[in-house]
Amino acid sequence: MKRKIYGTLCGLLAVGMVAGCGSQGVASNAANGGNVQNAAGGENASDTAQNAAEEGQGADSAEPETVTVWHDGDESIMQVIADEVNKELEAENVTVAFEKKTGLTDQLQLYGNDAENGPDMYFYAHDSLGMFAEMGILAPITDFISAEDEKDLLPMTIEAGTYQDTQYLLPVYYETLLFIYNQDLWEGEVPGTTDELYAYMEEHTDTAAGTYAVVNQHSTAYNVAPFINGYGAYIIDENANPGLDTEEMIEAVTYNKQFATLMGEGDYDTCNTLFNEQKAAAIIGGPWLVSGIKEAGINYGIKSLSEFTLPNGSPLAPYSGVQGIGVLKHAEENKKDAVASVLKALCKENVGVSLAKESSCAPANAKSYEDADVAANEMIMAMRATAETAQPMPNLPQMSVMWGPAESLLAAVNKSGEDVKTAAETYQQAAVQAVGDMQ
Amino acid sequence: MTKRKIKQRAGLAVLNLIFILLCFVGLVPILYALSLSLSSAAGALSSRLSLLPEGFTLENYRNILVEEPFLRWLWNSIVLAAGTVIVAMACSVTSAYAFSRFRFRGRMQALRGLLILNAFPQILTMFAIFRLFKTLHLLNSRWGLILIYAGSMCIFSIQNLKGYFDTIPVEIEEASKLDGATELQLLWKIILPLAKPAIIVTSVMVLIFVWNEYLFATTFMLNETTYTLAGGLYQLQANDYSRSWGLFTAASILVSLPILIIFFIIQKHMVSGLTAGGVKG
Amino acid sequence: MRKKRQISVWLHSLPAMVLIGGIIVFPIIYTAYISLTNMNLFHWDNYEMIGMDNYVRALFKVDTGFLTAILTTLLWTALNMAFQVVIAFFIALGLNAPGLRLKNVYKTLLMFPWAMPAYVSILLWKVGIYNTEFGLANKVLSALGFEKINYLSRNVPAFLSCMVLNLWMALPFMIMMFDGALQSIDKSYYESAKMDGAGFWMQVFHITVPSVKPIMAPSVIMTTFTTFKQFDIIYLLTQQKGALTGATLQTIITYAHQNAFVSNNYGLSSAVSMIIFVLIVVISLFLNRGLKENDDV
Repeated sequence: MKRKIYGTLCGLLAVGMVAGCGSQGVASNAANGGNVQNAAGGENASDTAQNAAEEGQGADSAEPETVTVWHDGDESIMQVIADEVNKELEAENVTVAFEKKTGLTDQLQLYGNDAENGPDMYFYAHDSLGMFAEMGILAPITDFISAEDEKDLLPMTIEAGTYQDTQYLLPVYYETLLFIYNQDLWEGEVPGTTDELYAYMEEHTDTAAGTYAVVNQHSTAYNVAPFINGYGAYIIDENANPGLDTEEMIEAVTYNKQFATLMGEGDYDTCNTLFNEQKAAAIIGGPWLVSGIKEAGINYGIKSLSEFTLPNGSPLAPYSGVQGIGVLKHAEENKKDAVASVLKALCKENVGVSLAKESSCAPANAKSYEDADVAANEMIMAMRATAETAQPMPNLPQMSVMWGPAESLLAAVNKSGEDVKTAAETYQQAAVQAVGDMQ
Repeated sequence: MTKRKIKQRAGLAVLNLIFILLCFVGLVPILYALSLSLSSAAGALSSRLSLLPEGFTLENYRNILVEEPFLRWLWNSIVLAAGTVIVAMACSVTSAYAFSRFRFRGRMQALRGLLILNAFPQILTMFAIFRLFKTLHLLNSRWGLILIYAGSMCIFSIQNLKGYFDTIPVEIEEASKLDGATELQLLWKIILPLAKPAIIVTSVMVLIFVWNEYLFATTFMLNETTYTLAGGLYQLQANDYSRSWGLFTAASILVSLPILIIFFIIQKHMVSGLTAGGVKG
Repeated sequence: MRKKRQISVWLHSLPAMVLIGGIIVFPIIYTAYISLTNMNLFHWDNYEMIGMDNYVRALFKVDTGFLTAILTTLLWTALNMAFQVVIAFFIALGLNAPGLRLKNVYKTLLMFPWAMPAYVSILLWKVGIYNTEFGLANKVLSALGFEKINYLSRNVPAFLSCMVLNLWMALPFMIMMFDGALQSIDKSYYESAKMDGAGFWMQVFHITVPSVKPIMAPSVIMTTFTTFKQFDIIYLLTQQKGALTGATLQTIITYAHQNAFVSNNYGLSSAVSMIIFVLIVVISLFLNRGLKENDDV
């Protein structure tokens, strides 16, 4: 009862204000270009106002609106994004609120279509996109913004956010693996081919004493991907066919095995500790390691993995993980305008610049790299270079069941000493079975 | 000193030694966590063999108490735990009493049947309860969580309490029954005091379950400020890549401390009233 | 009269039964319902009944891996329970020795593993103790001059490592239960036995054990189920995504997780869960026949 009264009052207020506000809306949106768009925006405002009167939801462009975004990442990074967006949208009275939710994929499965309790948008890596799209809980980004708004974004990042030709995720930043080396420990130049790298490792690794040249998580699919992609193999293709037993894959896994014998245990904590305690001269890792490395006081240098060439002539091609924001379907009905504003704000290069400066993230917006400070950041520029050869992780829903068999294959070959061919066949079967089970 | 006394003293000394050793070995991982929480190094591993912290600092503890809403989480945990214990015990005591005192054929089968229900793998339970609670609008509500926790622990509480109630001879109640006491009075004045260790043990079990439960707590409660200690702790560590071991271990120690304190305090109440002599049969 | 008693019992238990009905029984029924549908990622909201198809598929997936998983699970449960019961019993006996003044301190310290949340303990053990390079276990071994052992990369060491961790985490509970049970034994029994000249161990076997059995039965049974269903330890130690250790240890639950639950095919997963549930019920009924004594006290 109370809600209805509140809603009707809101509606009346809205209708009264739209007459004046409509023109104001046009004025403030002019900067974004395209009068046609703004007219549509104005129409939407009155539409939503009428809906507000009917449904009692009070979604008016002049009323304070909060858009809830769920995420499972670093709180400090999200804070940077939130601050930028909120500053941008102060005039429109839209605030974006980030909430951390551990186990986001499971939570979204439960709350995805829950308008009452669930979020309006979510911020996450792009590889789970397919899953959410198939569940039918996402609204395409293109419903809210146009290609014009996205023109500055790197094509690779937009591709990552697209599933079955519809774009669901607006990319904000991305990350790739990098070759991070200890400048004090590394002797001479960092080689340009993987074979030379291997030769260096042979000379400088002493497993008995516990000193290593290069360490990498050699049995984690994400970390072996540079080799896999470089050899032209794939874990799963666009038609959801697993590729664990292709010739290229066997080649890649065999090649990786050589390195694995010289890399120690290969788990995340061990690799980090070895590098930070200066027992390993280099580590293949991501930007998230850098704060720990700085704290350990290591004089580090960064090289892009794309600058290493495999014996077959192709460069290493790591996976890129694109972090972006998606919109839930029910938000399209209730908060379309607010969501659109948020998305537009995120397309701008200042968000990327702040992210790069504060948290060393590689922005998805190409213009952000023109900023002087950003261009001076070695790590970000290395990731920018890697973006040329990096491949986005497959975002098919079937990918989620591929990690198991792929990593079992690596573990079997690297840690249990099994024959590559037989293991590949076994796990390919397991993968096909797993993919089939999803239906 | 008599020979017997010497033997006794020696025996006790050996026993004490065994226990000290046992406690130490059992606590090694905890000491490790403690040393991590007091050290300023970021990683969990190092090549030193030592349980002493590296770069002693209380910074982690300060961070937990000040930066994270630790006290709010503590309050939430306390509220949920107290609520669950009360609800669970209230339901179980009457039920256990009935199962213990009123005999009928098939009584044991019914109990066994209840116990077997525990065998269901829990992974899908949450999904089902989520759907149920969504229809009942019990999501994001403390009462909803209390109901879930109490329901999960009910079967065990009933079984446990019944076992203890069985050891209290019926004759004790006979006397009061003759005097015209109602069942409630029987329960309150005679059974409960005698079954104190049972009640306490079961309550502690429920308490620890609620205190450490994080899956339901983080799924059903939507706002970070309504999280329990376990939920907040879970969030601090969930990601391999963003975990800060110092913070994480400091939080774990702080989360475990209240339980230990409670446990220590209730020790003296664990002595059963039966040892005082009761009724000689 | 008997009927009145029956009704009375259930009336007394009404609030408990309502709770149990909603929280424990309902999920089983709901899962059974979902197992008959084709609910999965592709049919998230628009699923329909497909009958027993999921069960047929689930049973077809039964291969050698499944049988190994069952055997491993049975071995796991049996060994863990045996160790737990015996060790906890003796520790509790020791704690109740007359004259042990620091017993409250010991009890509290021994409870610590239980007070600590499970995933914290597992992570600590995985990274701090079992880690080949830097874990405490290997550091101690190297300090003593032995070679480093890889605890988690082959099945047998992995099994033992998981077992040790499980014991560490589960013993406090058992100790506490035994301790409470020991407290409720009427001391007069011991006095009369002593007067009859029975030695300490005689007393233990003829008084303590039989008296403790009925009280401990529910705890032991429940712990058996919990051990059987134990997922976290094995999964987090050896199978976490991105950190496979090379051991292919599987219990029924991890097997089901890897082969069914990961697929997000809720229809299939529900069918698998129901099958496991029925399996456990059958096994426990089987065991129950063997333990027929002590029924209607």
